[in-house]
Amino acid sequence: MSRVVLTRIATVTALGDGLGTLWQGLLAGQSGIAPIKRFDCNNYLSGLGACIDGLATPTEGSLLDAVLDRVVNEMGEVPPDCRLLVASTKGEIDRLENACRRGEKIPQAVLFEPLLEKIARRFKLSGRGMNINAACASSTIALIKGASLISGGHAEMVLVLGLDILSEFVFSGFSALQALSPDACRPFDCHRNGLTLGEAGVALLLMSEERARQSGEIPMAFVAGWGAANDAHHVTAPARDANGLILSIRQALKKADVGVDRVAAINAHGTGTVYNDAMELKAFKAIFGNGLPPVHGVKGSLGHCLGASGGVEIGIACRALQEQKIPGTIGCWEAEDEAQGMIGASAQSIDGEYLLCCNSGFGGVNGAVLLRKGDS
Amino acid sequence: MRAWINGVGWMTPAGCGMGRAGSEQPLCAGQLDIPTRAQVFEEPDKRFGRLDPFSRVGLAAVAFCLRDAGEEHWTEKRPIGIVASSRYGCLGTDVAYLETMLPDGGKLASPNLFAYTLPNCFLGEAALRFGLTGNSLLLNQKDDNGLCAVRFAMEELSWSGQQGVLAGFCDLPFSEMGLEVDFPGSLFFLLGREPDARGVTYGELRLSGDQLFFKDKVVPDFSALVKACLGAHFINRFPGNKFQGKPACRDKEAVKR
Repeated sequence: MSRVVLTRIATVTALGDGLGTLWQGLLAGQSGIAPIKRFDCNNYLSGLGACIDGLATPTEGSLLDAVLDRVVNEMGEVPPDCRLLVASTKGEIDRLENACRRGEKIPQAVLFEPLLEKIARRFKLSGRGMNINAACASSTIALIKGASLISGGHAEMVLVLGLDILSEFVFSGFSALQALSPDACRPFDCHRNGLTLGEAGVALLLMSEERARQSGEIPMAFVAGWGAANDAHHVTAPARDANGLILSIRQALKKADVGVDRVAAINAHGTGTVYNDAMELKAFKAIFGNGLPPVHGVKGSLGHCLGASGGVEIGIACRALQEQKIPGTIGCWEAEDEAQGMIGASAQSIDGEYLLCCNSGFGGVNGAVLLRKGDS
Repeated sequence: MRAWINGVGWMTPAGCGMGRAGSEQPLCAGQLDIPTRAQVFEEPDKRFGRLDPFSRVGLAAVAFCLRDAGEEHWTEKRPIGIVASSRYGCLGTDVAYLETMLPDGGKLASPNLFAYTLPNCFLGEAALRFGLTGNSLLLNQKDDNGLCAVRFAMEELSWSGQQGVLAGFCDLPFSEMGLEVDFPGSLFFLLGREPDARGVTYGELRLSGDQLFFKDKVVPDFSALVKACLGAHFINRFPGNKFQGKPACRDKEAVKR
């Protein structure tokens, strides 16, 4: 079994380009949530979103192109023999939206195959890879797949690329589902009332420890354990008993052979919806009992970046382990009873080698990744 | 990596069917009818009528596959995953949703349709009906031999504690874009870590490198794997099942054309 290392991470979010910029913004308590100018929000529950600054809206093409360009610029060259795992829920959905709006023929470019080809070309990869769709846990599940391929000796390197844009298609849908908060979302706050959408691009380069050493790459973190499970409860609502997330976390701890007392912090999905956050707290209590470590979530700063959210959060978690600090949970001004003392709006110091990242999504999907501190 | 094929189920132009009640290759071109609840489930199912066509077709194939494997009924949730591949996903549902969203500036956007604009949602429908708590995801990739989901499922079994993984495809033609699929519809295999508890199985599947072997013979593509499973040995092995296979694909094709 090869140990799996995370060697390079590139992020493009509403808090800027690059993990360093993102990290500094989070520590400073910044939020990228602002009024949306991209489309008219008058008929929706909210007018807020966490859009990436300076994305040019193309007349032909997709906003995703611009996000991809910036991720490629941040990431730099990657070895051409990397396996490619893309994690996007809706890909270039704005192309479809625009074609339908104009009554035009729907272009082939709305499909994932051309997108995969384009991504492989941009990164100069020899293989085209695959897109993994597991709703809002897509990049978490893709990273789990990558880690299992490397751990099992089936791959030496995997590039996980999470990409999703804030489109009117998705925004209107969450509004119709009554899931949007009229104000900026408040994860784990007792007055939380919905999510705020965001968008992001994230690239994570996974390697076997041996290949990383040969390539001179310094491990930012080790992917020590992982787990994935379905609630088998509801298509859009989380299971009240949190069974799927509990199972995922147990699998991750078991895989890493790590006791709960060694987990220094948790990065929660923390969407800000009443049911998601309650479900997560239930899972954490079930696993950690009274020894619950500090918990934080970043969606009050970055919005919910859909399929890219897990990847961005894993990047932040790597930095958190390096710095032994977790950012505050922006929006959690008055933590709900179950989260008192564990979650707050200010950054906290942590002490330990392991950090747990969790994500969940439509279709009952749950994923958990346990990271161990790297060498730098 | 080894696994056992313990069930095969489909919803294709051949109709709804399953390996142990079918005698012909179910993968074929032709008109795909979207199944009704009564064609899939004996009991009333409140949610089925609300599903989009993509989900109905995929769910029907999963249901018949589990039925074929004797795994349809359950009392406790079980660690069975689902890996589906799809070239076009729920594109038709996306367009149907946009038809509700674009007029009136989004005021009339349909929440029910939106819920199915994620192509993995039919996997959630299957998971909740059949108590499947394994990993569930949908793949999009250029897949010349159609075996990417099967390979992915084999890999899942190798690293996880899942007792089985449903692996297959779901694709609907999308005529608005001129998109045709070789085999419209959906077909799933149930891959088990162990042979079927009833002591019958279609055979052993092995993944060596990128190459799949079924009963020690190379599997060139998805269609060949289906054919290899549906040998005469299994025909009417479980007679009396209410859900017998529909008319054979070849016969139905002749009528359609």
